[in-house]
Amino acid sequence: MEAPQYVAARVQAALAEDRRTHELGIRVDVRGDQLFLRGQVSGAEQRERLGEVAREAAPDLHVHNEINVVEVGRPGEVEHLD
Amino acid sequence: MTELRIAAVGDIHLGEDVRGQYRKSLDGIGDRADILMVAGDLTRHGTLEEGRVVADELRDLPIPVVAVLGNHDYHSDMQHEIASELRDAGVIVLNDDSAVIECDGTRLGVVGGKGFGGGFAGKCASEFGERETKNFVRHTRLIAESWQHALKEIDADRRVVLSHYSPIKETLEGEPLEIYPFLGSYLLAEAVDTAGADLILHGHAHRGTEKGMTSGGIRVRNVALPVLGAAYAVYCLADE
Repeated sequence: MEAPQYVAARVQAALAEDRRTHELGIRVDVRGDQLFLRGQVSGAEQRERLGEVAREAAPDLHVHNEINVVEVGRPGEVEHLD
Repeated sequence: MTELRIAAVGDIHLGEDVRGQYRKSLDGIGDRADILMVAGDLTRHGTLEEGRVVADELRDLPIPVVAVLGNHDYHSDMQHEIASELRDAGVIVLNDDSAVIECDGTRLGVVGGKGFGGGFAGKCASEFGERETKNFVRHTRLIAESWQHALKEIDADRRVVLSHYSPIKETLEGEPLEIYPFLGSYLLAEAVDTAGADLILHGHAHRGTEKGMTSGGIRVRNVALPVLGAAYAVYCLADE
């Protein structure tokens, strides 16, 4: 049986390298037959694509897609640098 | 005393599926800022199609826009074409060079480019060993030298450095330590500290921290969109 760390690394590499996603900042954790995706992306479609690529890379695991979509509707705080 | 208001963001990672959304968040930016600086990773895969989406989102804003590209924007080897699309849309794209922009009577000099990695003083790669390692570090060193030269040459009232990669580790806090060498290089900070600047803006480290400072006391801000949790931040430089 493949060690969970290698499975997580393989899925993380797939998320970064697959042309549908190219997402580098997603955390991948494997616990038993469960795989968890965490991180932030800019759109709901990207989140779904990441789940899809992860499922393909680890077809025997149950994928929990816990990625957040960042809402960017408002400008942030103003900082005065003096 | 008037202030120079700099809106800044990085890592907007736009694509066709989110077309129009980021633009909406820029409504009213002309009332809040004098200039917008975008710190790379404008696209996800670095395709020309994504580059065109970015160009459309940043086109015809009421304030000047300065941008650098990030590693994602290089992925499809279309970085020159993406930069051209952005320039056609009126965006000033820096590639290890400088621009001086007149903002309400103040000459704002902006120096920058993508930057690169290698790590931080005491825990970094050096130009030694395999050709691949030497090329990696040399790439960063040449970038740093370009920035130092550009900062020394530029004739401006205020100077800001715009990068994608980080010049310091403080603004990486939150990222795994093991990947720091791929997130930035101290050579960038050393160059800017030597030549002097008022502010350094960077992105790239989505899980990093917004605020930091170089060894020489220059303020550094990580403006990656996931770090800001907002469409952009605004930094005000007091007029000298």
